[in-house]
Amino acid sequence: MTQKKSRYNYYTEDFDLSNRPERFLRAFAAILQHTNYGYVLDTYIRTSTKCSRCATTCPVFQSTGDYHHIPCYRSELLFKIYRRYFTFSGLLKGRLTNAFKLTDEYLDELADAVYQCTACRRCKSACPMGIDHGLVTHLARWALSEIDIIPKALLVATREQLEGKTKNTSAIPVPALKDTCEFLEEELMDIFHLPAKFPFDVEGAEYVFFPAVSDYLLEPDTLMGNAAVMHVTNGSWTIGTGFFDGINYGLFYSDRMLDRIVSNVVQETIRLKGKKILIGECGHASRSAKFFVPTFCGGDKAPPVVNIMEYTHKCLKDGTLKLIPDSIKERVTYHDPCNIARSGWIINQPREILEAICSDFVDMSPMGKNNYCCGGGGGTVSIDEIRQFRTGIGGKTKADQIKKTGAKYLVAPCANCKKQLAEVCEDHGLEDVEVVGLHDLIIKSMDLTGFTVETEEEEVDNGSDA
Amino acid sequence: MDQMLEFARGPLFRFSILFMILGLLRHLILTIIAITKGIRSAGDKNINYKNLFIDTLGWILPFKKMSERMLFSITSFLFHIGVILTPLFLFSHNQLWKRGLGFSLPSMNQSIANVLTIVTIIAIYALIIARASSKDSRAISRLQDFLLPVIISIPFITGYLASHMQINPFTYKATMLLHVMSSNFIFILIPITKLSHIVLLPTTQFIAEVGWHFPADSGKNVATALNKENVPI
Repeated sequence: MTQKKSRYNYYTEDFDLSNRPERFLRAFAAILQHTNYGYVLDTYIRTSTKCSRCATTCPVFQSTGDYHHIPCYRSELLFKIYRRYFTFSGLLKGRLTNAFKLTDEYLDELADAVYQCTACRRCKSACPMGIDHGLVTHLARWALSEIDIIPKALLVATREQLEGKTKNTSAIPVPALKDTCEFLEEELMDIFHLPAKFPFDVEGAEYVFFPAVSDYLLEPDTLMGNAAVMHVTNGSWTIGTGFFDGINYGLFYSDRMLDRIVSNVVQETIRLKGKKILIGECGHASRSAKFFVPTFCGGDKAPPVVNIMEYTHKCLKDGTLKLIPDSIKERVTYHDPCNIARSGWIINQPREILEAICSDFVDMSPMGKNNYCCGGGGGTVSIDEIRQFRTGIGGKTKADQIKKTGAKYLVAPCANCKKQLAEVCEDHGLEDVEVVGLHDLIIKSMDLTGFTVETEEEEVDNGSDA
Repeated sequence: MDQMLEFARGPLFRFSILFMILGLLRHLILTIIAITKGIRSAGDKNINYKNLFIDTLGWILPFKKMSERMLFSITSFLFHIGVILTPLFLFSHNQLWKRGLGFSLPSMNQSIANVLTIVTIIAIYALIIARASSKDSRAISRLQDFLLPVIISIPFITGYLASHMQINPFTYKATMLLHVMSSNFIFILIPITKLSHIVLLPTTQFIAEVGWHFPADSGKNVATALNKENVPI
């Protein structure tokens, strides 16, 4: 089926074109009334000094040099609407003079602008006024989504996850999920002689596991690494068949969806009487859960959220996980996913793990809190039709960074970053670089003494069980 | 002229100062109320105050931040130093504070004041030139972004001229009138323009954090308000 030409850089489903400015303002008003965004905008419209310091931090602007991509320019698009329609002086000006009026064209510019931002929030650290342009993008996308301006890729996936039969963004039915996991168990046995299991629907497990569901299709090595670590550390974990997808596109376009998705995660955890939520290697899934499970699901009473890298790091530190030093000889570098690094949450843990197993680990510069986005942040990686923009513009700085390290393995513990970086490497002539997850390397470096079994014995065991 | 100068230095000065103080207080109080309300309504009330405090301090004393865009940052920093210290600690201003407010601050050496004033004026025009000479900076600038620095430079220029009559082509009183009137104008502008960052800067890190702390029922309430509760995605 061919797509007809979209109004925007990305495809959307058909939506109601009548009275858009009025409907947008109504949605914006409702959002401002029931959230804290209004307070934020009140401060931002008073303090924004347009110093353009943010421009130098934005990888998109650095690539294009187009002022439309300056974070402050983009945020001003929303500030202008707020000033005109939601402040006293703006309303007065509107009455007395021929002031700015929200039009369809203006909304179209806004709709394009907010999806050319990867919401990586790197610019926040450069703003003397503390303006969080990522938050402004986040808000603008929500308001636009209420008049149905949503990239189709995000919308369709979220619809399947919340209202579809399969309850996940990749539309994997439970039997297929179980098949995949059985296959991975066999692989673990064949390659590593490790009888690790993917336990389904175990009640009372300590951890209920929610990876980015696309990992089941695309990242077998990461998942095998996850299972192997859980096995040798005797971790009590389970995968729920009711809801098993950590992906949360609500973070990218609507707080309403964000709320509904994290609520599903918590409900599944409660159904299984699990104690903690364990998120796989995925930046946005981790941030959505870590920061918004408490927001929408009972504050301190909500189940704690742990990222699998935190778990593995803890096991390495307390000695339950043994890794073989220098088992990865090739040069390795690490990409910080913005959603877990920007806040300073997960920066050193994976590096300590990598330094324990790699003989040649090099960091990119800058890294950590000040890292560069892969170019596919903010859900843009799922929008295939903007690949040229993502890899050519958004990912250009990253490509240069990767090239400079000369690494063979690029560790990117995030489903979105992995897909994007693989495409970035392809489009920038970095075919020799292999984009992997952290656990892909961990499983190759685990000291499995005492855990492995001979394949024949396993078959005998199976036979006797049967 | 004498009467005008007296009026500008007397009632008009007191009015503008009062306008500024009340305006800034209003901003500050409203923002603190907003932060408090925001945290109270948030579903997740855990906030890392220590980090926010460190970030805030990092911008109030931005020594670490100056390594990025060094020339611009240092110019901007010098501008702020001059614009804050000179008016407050000038010997002749201290006499004004003493007379009008009943207390005075320590006075700075006149030659330091001269240097600071010149540095401030140069910094102001360097920043204006930087803004005007870049296509990108022009694109994001509003009229006030160009006008405010020019207006701020007037009391510095006239103040310097008033204390260096040998190079001043104008009469002392005319210079002083312009000096006082432009200062009064700035006091009035402060709470109604971006200059209100004078008091809002220490709140901005906190307000951004509050922005990410959504009320627990925000999503559901917005759905209700827009009649979308049972509408399929």
